[in-house]
Amino acid sequence: MHEYSIVASLVERVGQIAADHPRAVVRRIHVRIGDRAGVERVLLQTAYDTFRARSVCEHADLAIEAVAGDELILQRVEMEVPDV
Amino acid sequence: MCEDCGCGDPELVSVDVHEHLLAGNNRLAEHLREHFVQAGVLAINLMGSPGAGKTAVLERTASAFAEKYRLGAVSGDLATDRDGERLRRAGILAKTITTGSACHLDAKLVHDALHEVPWRELDLFFIENVGNLVCPAIYDLGQAANVVALSVTEGEDKPLKYPVIFERADLVLLTKIDLLPHLDVDMNALRDAVRRVMKAPAIIAVSAKTGEGMGEWLAWLEARRP
Repeated sequence: MHEYSIVASLVERVGQIAADHPRAVVRRIHVRIGDRAGVERVLLQTAYDTFRARSVCEHADLAIEAVAGDELILQRVEMEVPDV
Repeated sequence: MCEDCGCGDPELVSVDVHEHLLAGNNRLAEHLREHFVQAGVLAINLMGSPGAGKTAVLERTASAFAEKYRLGAVSGDLATDRDGERLRRAGILAKTITTGSACHLDAKLVHDALHEVPWRELDLFFIENVGNLVCPAIYDLGQAANVVALSVTEGEDKPLKYPVIFERADLVLLTKIDLLPHLDVDMNALRDAVRRVMKAPAIIAVSAKTGEGMGEWLAWLEARRP
């Protein structure tokens, strides 16, 4: 099931993005998954829920937007940056 | 601090990314592709079901090209070196990539394996993917072309049931055609199913056992050499 591999890449990339914002807490991740992308959205969500524990994504919801075509896109990352 | 009112609540930061979920893999694949092209190596990503005949086609290809080209390969296998052993016996410089539980190859696995294959000395380099009609389809490995082996024993409907891998194929090899007299498979229906999903349909029917159709396959490869 390659969805786990995709989620591993996603979590790694989100970690790189969050590293630019000290003490940020990632709250929501937006992805766009095409119906011809070769990725099963339900399995992607399952894989994400498995992988997120003890990662930078632990407190982040995964918002999957279903689109037409073969898109497989990390669209946006939303983070809370604490009061400084 | 919240910049709107200074209330002390956390600030919400939104970062627009808009990049492919496999961007890291795709960057490495592009790196591999540049190296293959610069070295004059034709790299082929050979995919297909377990038992589709991928290794047998490569064995026959090696036999036909033995005096003409230097062939190399990496072979994805969950648990054994069996395909790698067959390829080496056929004269191919082959390295097995043991994937464990992974159902596909990615660019990093191929990149790391290249350290153990003298790929710059080759004319043709085959990436024999893990037997699977689903997962390998979405991973760019730096290949010049995607080839899907589909044996005639698998049924006419496989291209329709697994469209993504056939959509991304540059060529479909219909394998094991020596078995046709023993099967009820409708070759017209099979070809029609392939044509319905491939963007630019290209089909070659072969038998690695009898050699039928292999000439067309070899010519297809030679036409793509850099």
